[in-house]
Amino acid sequence: MDSELIRRYNYDEFVKEKFAPWMRFDQSPPLGILAPDFPLLHLDGTETTLSELWSKSSFLIIEFGSFT
Amino acid sequence: MNEIAQRYAQENVASIFLYTHEAHPGENYPHLTSMEQKLRHAHDLRVKIGVERPILVDSLDGACHRAYGSNPNMSWIISNSGIPVYKSDWTDAGSVESAIAYLIDVLKRRRNGERLAQFHVERADFRTQDHKAFYAGLERNGPKAVKEFSEAF
Repeated sequence: MDSELIRRYNYDEFVKEKFAPWMRFDQSPPLGILAPDFPLLHLDGTETTLSELWSKSSFLIIEFGSFT
Repeated sequence: MNEIAQRYAQENVASIFLYTHEAHPGENYPHLTSMEQKLRHAHDLRVKIGVERPILVDSLDGACHRAYGSNPNMSWIISNSGIPVYKSDWTDAGSVESAIAYLIDVLKRRRNGERLAQFHVERADFRTQDHKAFYAGLERNGPKAVKEFSEAF
């Protein structure tokens, strides 16, 4: 993994020059075409993928977030 | 969002919380430097803020989060064929519920033989600004998080 990307993504302080570059919803994937798929971990560390999750139900609601 | 997950589970709707990165790093929940720490923080979401849905964890470089726009509190709805049918740059339970109720009704109309054509719509939704709860979240992360937020705006 790119250690510099990891450092920038996991910024250490909430200052505009560090958090603003990540506010890119306007560049997010469009509706109506296949969504990008990624590997994810369950809390017990087992691996899954976003596509495995969305394929199990009629719809998958995803809330992205953290403690704040 | 927990209530929506429960209410629509019987309609074959799954709900997850995807842990990303600390938007407001503080003394108690600092910025992430390892997957072990990221998994620990994700575990704490269940106890500290009451997330009852399955909690999933993104990679340390936020590959999934970044690909979907990397805003701190987005919601998306994706169909079982992998097609995004709703996205919101902020999570609001009322907005999500109006969308999922509509989408479930679309499935029922199709099952009843109605011919439907997809179209694109944009809509501005409105959320309650709960400053008290937001600051409680910052305080949970630590005094550093409170200070930096107050200085940022």
